[in-house]
Order: sequence, then C-alpha cells, then structure tokens
Amino acid sequence: MNVVQFGESACDKTRRYLDAYLSNELLVETSQEVQRHLETCPQCSAELAARARLRGDVRAAVRRSPVPAGLEARIRQALGARPALRWYGRIAAVLILGVAVFLIWRMRPNSAEETLMREATRRLSAVLNVGMRDHLNCAVFGKYPKQPEPASEMAADLGPQFAGLPPMVQAKMPAGFRIIQGHHCDYHGRQYTHLIAIRNGKLLSVILTRKQPGESVNGISQAGFDRYQIVGFESNDYLGYVVSDLDAQQNLQLAASLASAVRDYLAAHAG
Amino acid sequence: MLFSKHPRTDEFEKAALPHLHDLYRTAARLLGDSTKAEDIVQDVYLQAWKSFDRFEPGTNCRAWLFKILINTMHHFRRKWFNVRTVADSEEVLEQTVASAAPVSEHLTDEEILRALDGLPLDYRAVVLLADVEEFSYKEIAATLHVPIGTVMSRLSRGRKLLREQLSGVARAYGIRPIRQEGA
Repeated sequence: MNVVQFGESACDKTRRYLDAYLSNELLVETSQEVQRHLETCPQCSAELAARARLRGDVRAAVRRSPVPAGLEARIRQALGARPALRWYGRIAAVLILGVAVFLIWRMRPNSAEETLMREATRRLSAVLNVGMRDHLNCAVFGKYPKQPEPASEMAADLGPQFAGLPPMVQAKMPAGFRIIQGHHCDYHGRQYTHLIAIRNGKLLSVILTRKQPGESVNGISQAGFDRYQIVGFESNDYLGYVVSDLDAQQNLQLAASLASAVRDYLAAHAG
Repeated sequence: MLFSKHPRTDEFEKAALPHLHDLYRTAARLLGDSTKAEDIVQDVYLQAWKSFDRFEPGTNCRAWLFKILINTMHHFRRKWFNVRTVADSEEVLEQTVASAAPVSEHLTDEEILRALDGLPLDYRAVVLLADVEEFSYKEIAATLHVPIGTVMSRLSRGRKLLREQLSGVARAYGIRPIRQEGA
C-alpha cells in the first residue's frame, strides 16, 4: 500500500514537473530526478512522449500554416518608402532651415538693437535711459521719412499743445539740422513727444515726457554711449532730452540752449 | 549625410525580416484573422524600424520583435479581440481532468490548429511562444509583462487544455486512454 502511494506520489510529482522538463526549464538536480523516475515508470514515460509529440505536432502545424505570398514584399515596400519620405522630409527640412536662416538674418538688426538697448540701459542712469530708449527705438531703429513732413502735418500729429514746439526748436538747432518729423510716440508704456532732426546723416532727437514719481535729472545731466550723446533736463512736470550723434560738447550746447526755451514753451503751453 | 539613405536600412532588413513568417503566424493564431495579422505585422516592422536606433546589435532581435508584436496586439486587444478572460479559463480548467488524455498520433494540422485556436488567448499566447517559437520562460515573461510563475502556470494549463481538446478528437477516432492500454 505504502509502495503504491509512494509510486503515485512520484508520478504526480513528475507530472507536475513534466511541462518544465519538456521546455528544458528545470534545475539540473530536478531534471535528473525526473529523468530517474521516467526510466523506471513506463506510464510517465509514455505521458512525456505523448506531450512531446503533441508539442512537436503543434509546432509543425503552426509552422506549416501559410504566410501570404506578398507580405514580405509589402513590408519591404513600406520600409523602402520611408527613406523616400525622409528624402522629401529632408528637402522640407532644408527649406524650413533656409526660411529660418532668412528670418534670423532679417531679425539680426533687431537682435543688434536689443543688444544696444541692453548695453545702453546698463551704462546710463535710469532717468537718462528714458530718453535714450525712445531715441534708439523711434529715431535710430524706427523709420522716419527721408523728406521732412510738411509743417501742417507735423502740427496735426503733435496736436495744439505741442504744435508750436518744432518752430521753436528749429530756431535753436545747429546750422544744417532740419526737423523732419514731430509726433507723439510710446515705448514700454511711456508717452513721448518726439522731434527728429537730421543733418548729413547725423540724427538728433528732442524728446519730452512727463515725469514719473521720483524721477529727476538733477537739473541737467549728460552721458554718452557708443556714438550717442544724451543730455537730460527738467522742466516742471517734464523730462526733456536731447539725444544725437553729435559730439558731447555740441550736444550739451544744444541742450543747454534748448532747455530754457523748452521750459518757457512748456510753461506757456503744457502746464 | 542629410540626403544619404538611412545607414541602418540594410542592417535592419537583414536582422528583422528573417522573423517575418514567425511573427505573422503568431499574430494570425492570436488574432484568428489573416488580414488583421498582416496589418499588425506590417505595423510591427514599421515600429521596429522607427526604434531600430535603440536596438542594441547583438541582442536578441527576434525576442525584441515579438515583444513589439505583443505590445502592439495588446494595444488593439480591446478593439479586435473577442477575449475570453483567464477567469473564464480557470472555470474551464476546474472541469477538466488532470490525468493524461490520449491524443491521436494521426491528427491533421487543421485539427491541431482548431484546438489551438480554441484556447483562451492568454494560454494560446504562452503555448505559441513556448512550444512553437521556443522562447525561454524568462523571455516569455518579459514579452508578456507577467511573472515567470504565471508563464509556467499558463503553459501548463494551456497544454492541458490542448490535450483535452485533442483527446476529444481522439475519442471521436475511438482511441482509448494510455493507462488502460498499459494496464
């Protein structure tokens, strides 16, 4: 009875391992144990043979099942189409790159402008920057007309309050400078009254803007940056600037002569 | 370089295309639909090609492709499969007889494939990967994202169900259990 139970237990144990044995996934010791039992047990041995045969039959049946004749060709074609697509993709990439380079090239002056602005901001005091920024942004980088605006147009742009400013400023200008534009502009949320004058490629701005709390140029201040000279002056509620590419002395003289006239004008017209 | 053909195209085709038939047959058996199998295998190759840069030469390209196949099929599983869950399979198993079922030595491919196709999907996948494609338990576990113990139990149960299904065919042929013959 015990022998029979032992025999059944050994068979049961072997059959539990039979799948792993068939897949060659047993540890060497276990595999040898199964092997020893199989050598002495015809039933388990027959079971193994049946399972192995079935496994082989399943493998053979699946492997004999047909594969569509054109499948490989279609996949090769699909794979082959990809380099072609990529080739067109590369053309597109080159075109996009070209456009990007062109745009960057077009934007270069802007980048240079930003660099200049940053450098000016770093070097000049905050209050002088107020005038310098508008000069750079509006007169230097902006587009002003090559021919002077008609006086009537300038007066219309400036409005009644500042319409009389251009003739007054023009009268104080160094010889040869001519005001070509007068307007109101804004930059970074700040309003400016701006006169632009030119003489043989030299550019000059007279700029007025309302003071903001705490702003002061301590009477009159001068600074230079790159080829630009700026002088700032105060007139009650306004900050005034003369910015030009004249030399420092000339720019200061002009600003000094303008300052009192502008003060008088503002006192009379823009109180 | 910008206009050159992909440098690894030939390398990819050489490494991956020899496994096309195995992938297709596995897909066809799992999907039960030759058209879908073709589509999915083509998709597997395009995916493999896209990620071939990440494939390390010298590693098992075949196992890598099968993993992509299973992942892709998993993606479409809900959409395509009429899935019989493992829970259903467990119930089936409890009703099956654990003893050796006699299987005819003269089964046709059609009978075998029909029995194979009748297995629940999870078991069919493991039987195909282990017994037909001869992957190791470890490789199958990695491919199916399941523990090795699950691979073992599914394989054992899958084979048993297959024997059961084919023993039915055998009984139809008048074949009796081996034990009775040996006793």
